[in-house]
Amino acid sequence: MHKIWLICKREYLTRVKKKSFLVMTLLSPLLIVLFYGIIFYFSFNRDLAEEKKIILVSDATGLFSGKLENTKTITFSFEQLTDPLAKNLLKAENAYGVLFINQKDSIINYDLLANEQPGLNTLSAIEEKLENVVKSNKLAAKGIDKTVLKEINDTHVNVSTRKNTEDGYEKGNSGVTTMIGFLGAFLIYFFIFLYGVQVMKGVIEEKTNRIVEVIISSVKPFQLMMGKITGIALVGLTQFIIWVALVLLLSGPVSSLVMNLQHVEPSAITANGQETLSQAKEIGAAGILSELGNFNYVLIIGLFIFYFIGGYLFYGALFAAVGSAVDNETDTQQFMMPITLPLIFSIAIAQSIINAPNSSLSVWLSMIPFSSPVIMMVRLPFGIPTSEIIASMLCMIIGFVGTVWFAGRIYRIGILTYGKKPTYKELFKWLFRKN
Amino acid sequence: MILQIENVHKSYQNHVALKNINLEIEKGSIFGLLGPNGAGKTSLIRILTSITESDSGTILFNGIPLSSNDIYKMGYLPEERGLYKKMTVKDQLLYFAELKGLSNSIAKQKLKYWIDKFEIRNWLDKKVEELSKGMQQKVQFIATVLHEPELIILDEPFSGFDPINAQLLVDEILQLKQNGSTIIFSTHRMDSVELLCDNFALINQSELVLKGDLKSIKQQFKKNQFQITYTGETLQSDEFLKVESDTNSDGINNSIISLVQTKTNNELLMHLLNKGISIHTFGEKLPSMEEIFIMAVQQKHIQHA
Repeated sequence: MHKIWLICKREYLTRVKKKSFLVMTLLSPLLIVLFYGIIFYFSFNRDLAEEKKIILVSDATGLFSGKLENTKTITFSFEQLTDPLAKNLLKAENAYGVLFINQKDSIINYDLLANEQPGLNTLSAIEEKLENVVKSNKLAAKGIDKTVLKEINDTHVNVSTRKNTEDGYEKGNSGVTTMIGFLGAFLIYFFIFLYGVQVMKGVIEEKTNRIVEVIISSVKPFQLMMGKITGIALVGLTQFIIWVALVLLLSGPVSSLVMNLQHVEPSAITANGQETLSQAKEIGAAGILSELGNFNYVLIIGLFIFYFIGGYLFYGALFAAVGSAVDNETDTQQFMMPITLPLIFSIAIAQSIINAPNSSLSVWLSMIPFSSPVIMMVRLPFGIPTSEIIASMLCMIIGFVGTVWFAGRIYRIGILTYGKKPTYKELFKWLFRKN
Repeated sequence: MILQIENVHKSYQNHVALKNINLEIEKGSIFGLLGPNGAGKTSLIRILTSITESDSGTILFNGIPLSSNDIYKMGYLPEERGLYKKMTVKDQLLYFAELKGLSNSIAKQKLKYWIDKFEIRNWLDKKVEELSKGMQQKVQFIATVLHEPELIILDEPFSGFDPINAQLLVDEILQLKQNGSTIIFSTHRMDSVELLCDNFALINQSELVLKGDLKSIKQQFKKNQFQITYTGETLQSDEFLKVESDTNSDGINNSIISLVQTKTNNELLMHLLNKGISIHTFGEKLPSMEEIFIMAVQQKHIQHA
């Protein structure tokens, strides 16, 4: 045990003492927020990325003239044109394209001539405006008033949810529940990947630098592997604790800032976001904050730490085995695949799990240790029967004891084997080979 | 005897690394484990340091079968040096010492001696990656001997050292021997350690070809050859001697001659003096370790055939 502790201490201290650790711990939450902020900003304000375009409309039917609504980026102007004339115009003027509207029998043809293949945004904006005109024409023909239709369309129904618990009811909110589930799942996925790869790199470093030869005589391979894995796990936990502390520290000022922003925001709402935001307004920022108080955080954080450690040990041991089997990082690709695939699969399937958190698929995936850390995090805020939690935790423990044994067998041989990259068959033989 | 290696056999999946090796290593001696690359030297060392286990055979350490605790009494300097690049020299040395069973405070004390000896005080807080290769070698050497092992195993210790630092290392090794440590040198550059070692073993193609102390091995393989430098008429082979080679530079002849078997050294000297040449030096020419190695390997081949 003393040896494992020494190795663990070294792994921990060399990593935590690095300047890059502090920088990354402080910067990465900011970077993640910034990253998603930019993505959301652009998806809500698509126009920013688009240039202003003038579309010349040559309408032979006369159905659309003057009725096409301009958007922020597209201006329609009406002219009667022929094909060759349009070609010249596109060259000479700064028109983006010419839209020909012709009618044959009762079918109307829409044909856009442009200098480039128009993007999806432009095309769907034009289609939407055309549809609007056609629709209102049809409505008028059937004798329905536009304002009446708008009134009908504006109807919204919101179902509030209560979860039936032993001591009464618990007010629920699927949106917030989903958010918390995703956050936990994503963090676990992120941690396992980040630190699993660090374990692998550490093992490769020791192997290629022949450090192993110096220390393997004084420590057992298994001690070396476990020391490394636990040391790096503690680095991960330290990072996580710093983040939690930062969130607690900053949540006061930030939430008051968010509250203030909430009052300003309606004026900045874009046409697209109107509906969702008006819905959100009904719940209100205060509502979300009060919902956030409804979860059993002790359970969620406790299980988060359990699955973080369990999942990390499970995968970390496998990463260590991969590191020991190869001589350099480029050779790891082949062996990484089967390890990373289940991890990526579980984060990819998280969406379907959220839609049906208690389906049999969800239950099974939360038992299999390959996917349970991520899947359990997704399901947890929705409430899981205690028996299932215990079963899943037991599976997790059996799982990581299994992979640690498995990895230890490969590691003890791999760490001292140089040269050709082993095949899967050879790895299998290593499992049962005597020292 | 600090080490007795008896019938040690080791094979890997596709080849035999060591064939029934028998060796004894005297306590307090310097032992040379010689052989070309891939002969099996490192395989043997890995078994001694418990990195791997032999398939059969026994190893006695101080007369008792080698156990895992004996590892702490050994220091191993591997051929390809192993240090953590991102760790400081001081942290690294203390870490290795602690892994070898020293407490932190004792390790710090012992480190002081080597800091002065190798003048590395200014380097203690530098990361290993910032050091020159020779400097890294020194650090690795300190890591090997810091816990004052009874048995020190050095695999190609001089590679990467300049002559001054190599001499420093030799002095330290002799000092360690004086303090009672036993040292095993493993090298393929056989001439480099000839003057240091008390005893040798030659390994070739996983077999022990030859073992013994330097003097008797040299006597065993000597070919009754003499080296002579002289001025005068160039020597010719006759009933006393056979000229193996003769070169002349700046008027001085340098010649290697073989004594004809029936004659004695004194008779040869008399014979040379009577020839009327002026002799500057005369001495017996003993074969170098490399020559001995080649002869031993050839003999072994003849035996096998």
